[in-house]
Amino acid sequence: MSETSLPTPSAGGQHSARPDDGRPLLSVQDLRVTFTRGGRRVNAVNGLTYELAAGRMMAIIGESGSGKSVSSRALMGLLPPTAEITGSAQFDGRELIGLGEKEFRSLRGGDIAMVFQDPARSLNPTMKIGLQITEAIKAHCDLDKKGVRDRAVELLRLVRLPAPERRFNEYPHQLSGGMRQRVMIAIALAGDPRLLIADEATTALDVTTQAQIMELIVELQERLGMAVIMISHDLGLAASYAQDVAVMYAGRAVEYAAAADLFGAVRMPYTRALLDAIPLLERGSHELLPVTPGQPPDLSKLPKGCPFRPRCANATDRCLEAPDFLEHQPGHWWACHHPVPERAVLAGVADAAAAAPVPAGATAVGAGATAYTRAGATDPTTRKGATR
Amino acid sequence: MTTATTTPRVPVDRDPRVSLTRMTGSPVLRLVVKRLLMAIPIMLGVTILTYWVLSLIPGNAAQQLLGPEATPEDIAQLEEQLGLNRSGVARYFDWLGGALTGDLGNSMVSRQPVSDVLGDRLPVTVELVVLAFVVSLVLAIPVALAAAHRPNGLFDRISMFVSTAGLSVANYVLALVLVLVFAVQLGVLPAIGYTPLSDGVGDNLRGMILPSAAIGIPLFCFYARFLRGDLVDQLQQEEYITTARAKGIGPWQVLLRHAFRNSSFGLITVVGLNLGALIGGTVIIEQIFSLPGIGQLLLQAINTRDVVVVQAVVVIFALVAVVANLVVDLLYAVLDPRIRHDSR
Amino acid sequence: MTVVEPAPSAAYVPELDQVEEVGPRRRRVRNLGTWIPAGMIALIVFACFLGPLVLGLPRPIGGNILESYLPAGSPGHLLGTDPNGNDILSRLLNGGRASLLIAFTVNVLGLLIGGTLGAVSGYLGGAVDTVIMRVLDVLIAFPSLVLTLAVAQALGPSMTNTILALTFFSIPAVARVARSAVLRLRSMPFMAAAELAGTPGWRVLLRHLAPNIVPQLITFAMLGMGIVIIIEGALSFLGLGIPAPNPSWGNMVAEGQLSLSATPMLVVWPSVALLLTVLSFNLLGENLRARWGGR
Repeated sequence: MSETSLPTPSAGGQHSARPDDGRPLLSVQDLRVTFTRGGRRVNAVNGLTYELAAGRMMAIIGESGSGKSVSSRALMGLLPPTAEITGSAQFDGRELIGLGEKEFRSLRGGDIAMVFQDPARSLNPTMKIGLQITEAIKAHCDLDKKGVRDRAVELLRLVRLPAPERRFNEYPHQLSGGMRQRVMIAIALAGDPRLLIADEATTALDVTTQAQIMELIVELQERLGMAVIMISHDLGLAASYAQDVAVMYAGRAVEYAAAADLFGAVRMPYTRALLDAIPLLERGSHELLPVTPGQPPDLSKLPKGCPFRPRCANATDRCLEAPDFLEHQPGHWWACHHPVPERAVLAGVADAAAAAPVPAGATAVGAGATAYTRAGATDPTTRKGATR
Repeated sequence: MTTATTTPRVPVDRDPRVSLTRMTGSPVLRLVVKRLLMAIPIMLGVTILTYWVLSLIPGNAAQQLLGPEATPEDIAQLEEQLGLNRSGVARYFDWLGGALTGDLGNSMVSRQPVSDVLGDRLPVTVELVVLAFVVSLVLAIPVALAAAHRPNGLFDRISMFVSTAGLSVANYVLALVLVLVFAVQLGVLPAIGYTPLSDGVGDNLRGMILPSAAIGIPLFCFYARFLRGDLVDQLQQEEYITTARAKGIGPWQVLLRHAFRNSSFGLITVVGLNLGALIGGTVIIEQIFSLPGIGQLLLQAINTRDVVVVQAVVVIFALVAVVANLVVDLLYAVLDPRIRHDSR
Repeated sequence: MTVVEPAPSAAYVPELDQVEEVGPRRRRVRNLGTWIPAGMIALIVFACFLGPLVLGLPRPIGGNILESYLPAGSPGHLLGTDPNGNDILSRLLNGGRASLLIAFTVNVLGLLIGGTLGAVSGYLGGAVDTVIMRVLDVLIAFPSLVLTLAVAQALGPSMTNTILALTFFSIPAVARVARSAVLRLRSMPFMAAAELAGTPGWRVLLRHLAPNIVPQLITFAMLGMGIVIIIEGALSFLGLGIPAPNPSWGNMVAEGQLSLSATPMLVVWPSVALLLTVLSFNLLGENLRARWGGR
């Protein structure tokens, strides 16, 4: 990979140069999203609370249906109009919830950009790559025709797409999955965002490409000084790349800390269960994986109190009263009456966490993450399948 | 020095598909060849079917021409003259041989060459069909876009109900209603008749407004519904729409540049497939408005049992349908990059 | 291993695009949208088949020429009379009966023949599929109205011949719909499961395929009813459908056309009847389609 001289993406340049006034870039308070479906109310997000500082990379971890994707789309106003959204989400002091379509439009792709899960479906199959990027540039910058084109090629170079000039005139189906996701990232960077939301951005890619894309995102995050929310169901990926980790369950955050702190001392029984379900090479070859009993809750009729209660080994009657999501230790938040006692986590995860964030090109850690995912993700179906 | 020494040896490829690609070059060209090859048996089938159906018609043209007083000898003589005494298969091959060289035979009634008659009539029908398409698409595209802009909004509901109602109107009924209103009540447009283009574009168009509206309005309703449905499906289901919205571009731009662009491929297909049915629909409209097109010619020929003319008209109609399908496929291949670059 | 987010199980909610926007209000609208046209159809059928008996209407033909052109509301002739002195209401209802009978028969025959052809063609694939589809391609390329005109002329105008001609025309369309539905189903896992379990072909067709394509075919048939009624009207309008003195909506419109400026109501009544009937079938078809999904 030849290191080209990377130009600063725009005149305003690097956000990290901004004075840090100590206020978080994004502050989400008690966010709730409800869909009404067939007369049933589905509570997709149930009082989500978290903060994200400028320039940090945070992972939001959860099973499918835990509300991680819905909550981030709510921040960009991308949910269908039937979704009821309450609570607060302040971006740089500006309230996002309740903004009109027009106001959201200037924000989308500008201050906040998003990369989606499946690059095969997220690019318009009938439009040239170039047009899809220039369109995003034109929406946010006032440049002449040549300027727009130059900037597009520059962005493609920035995401290390090989032969950007040629790719400019190609269609998405002519690119590989990894290249398409690079294009998606280039599009997201077009408006020089301060927050990039990567919604399962590497899930549809194969493991090697996954590592390359994650490294690219980390590199861009540092170079451009943007904050990144990385939505994933993959704990290994979060441990390898994120600085902060929030774990979601049934539409709310249940544990939040810096990655090293969280993986060094997991307190929430749910996170503990997720970690225990990762098959590791250190384990005996025929050892059964511990299984969390029960099913994720039906979001239209959540259990009383703590939503994890029916599946939790530590649960008592006290858990019928929902625990608050509080900062129990400095920088470590959780929502549990009976946290698991502090103890050393399985060595592999802790090592990976300690090494985060990964400097670009640190292949050792990339390979480490690869090992986790290859061994079987933390994804619940795989886990069930493995123990059956 | 031969090229063989300078170019690396390419292994011989025995896959016939690959050699076809090599022969025809690009995938588009290959598609053209494939489709053309498929069109030939269809056209042959259509001509055979026509011949067979027409042979079912009781009473023959010789009888018809000579009238009831004709003696059997007269009829036999004329039959021989017209070649009617020969077997159906032999006559079919005669006809086919002629048709391939551009000779469609002579009308049994007027004795004129059929190709001359068609030459006079075809422009009228073509003009009618083209105008109907223009009317329908010019109305349908903006209505569908406006409806899809706010799905289930007021405009969407009203326009979709109106277009369902419009689809339920038979074109002959619509034609009469239009005549009743614009010719009888308001008297602003002529009820029947045709002015050739050579006698003035204005007069010609005035005469064509009602007929083309009678065909175009139900068609407009159909296209509007189709396009609106396709647009809304995309807006609600496709992830690239979300990507486009996440870029911060406006809703109209999302609709036009992303959704409409992709829906237009489907629209082209539907328009092409419609052409066959549409040209059949001109028969009744030409009859109502007394337009001297090939639809009217067909009805006259059916009534006088002028088999030669009927055969020619049916083949032309079928040819239009087949060619339209072919053109749609090819347009699709040229426009849709996924087909243009890969092969089918 | 490529890790892809697992599809949520049915009980376990929202992946974004799964959250379909059907609230209780929309569902109520949908129900109304089904029942209103269905009720209209029932009413029209009832009126056409039993109306003339119940109301004691005069015969639709052989009227008294001295009673021609009576205006609407004349004693004994609610909608007036036509140029031959026949009661318009009676002709309207009797003509409707003919139209509905024809449309129903044509659609049932078309569904049975076309549906079977399409399903077998799609299920068996290979050479059978190729042959059937090429033949149907010919029929589709053949201008349908011209075909029906020629057949009608060849066989002479009558109800049976009209039915035959129109059935001929509806078969390829139904077959195509059935075939594409079967092709889509064939790729589904439950089909592979049925075949791997050793289920015989006819049983797969009847027990696994048929129940899944029937909703689609019924929807198509509702739209087909409207189309056949319109085309039957066109044939009668051209004098090639229901033969002359007997009423049909098509030939009533054609008759009325002769005195369009003087007595427009002669055209209006059958036109309105035609419109309402076809509209009801179309609305019902559209609603069933929205309900059962699948465009």
